[in-house]
Amino acid sequence: MHVSTKKWLFTKISSLILLPLMTWFIINFVSIYDGNYSEVAIFFTQQPSKIIFSVFIVFAFFFSALTISEIFEDYIQDEKIKNVANKLLNIFAIIMPLITILGIFNLTI
Amino acid sequence: MPNEKTLVLVYNLFMQYKNNPLSPHLQIYKWQISSLLSIAHRIVGVINILAITAICIWSLLLLLGIESYQPINFFLNTFFGKFIAVSLCWTFSFHILNELRHLIWDLGYGFDLKVSKITGVLALIGSFVFAVLFYLLGKNIF
Repeated sequence: MHVSTKKWLFTKISSLILLPLMTWFIINFVSIYDGNYSEVAIFFTQQPSKIIFSVFIVFAFFFSALTISEIFEDYIQDEKIKNVANKLLNIFAIIMPLITILGIFNLTI
Repeated sequence: MPNEKTLVLVYNLFMQYKNNPLSPHLQIYKWQISSLLSIAHRIVGVINILAITAICIWSLLLLLGIESYQPINFFLNTFFGKFIAVSLCWTFSFHILNELRHLIWDLGYGFDLKVSKITGVLALIGSFVFAVLFYLLGKNIF
């Protein structure tokens, strides 16, 4: 399979998975964002919200890395700058969810 | 040694290459619902991932403890905090509906120009309706 076909398939599969996760997250975010420390901490530490949120951010950063690289393709002319931007984007898309998941799994109330 | 004319020609060619417009030629296309939604989809997507990054940092700040969380709690209860929550309801709902439209296209439906325009308008109007619904559902108003 061609690398572009793989990229397209991964984008579509991740977007399909993200649709219910985004809906679930935004409704829950509205219910907790103005709450006190305990209310917010309970959301991030208790199941099933902890595991669903973890899955949500993994797919969100994976999807964003794939789609933002398409924006770089359209707007960055210089190949070197584009490669550096894509590498930074991929590193960010791995590190950010990883740190967050480690953080919320170490969070106790 | 190249003469002045050659140097000017090379310089002009270089500048032409440097100024070569990149896709999708925003300054040339006439604005219409399809282009508006396409550009908005990209901008909203970038806003959403920035917001998700901020939410990840927000969750990590909980590790600092209850006292360190007080200023964040205060900010989120201000007008700006509520504005951010309402705005995110719209950016998420717009992205969900427009992504659904893209997935339907990928299945081979809705390519007709008229249908495409109708689904575009529906996605735009629906995003505001969904934003209100998400907020009300989140606040347990139903």
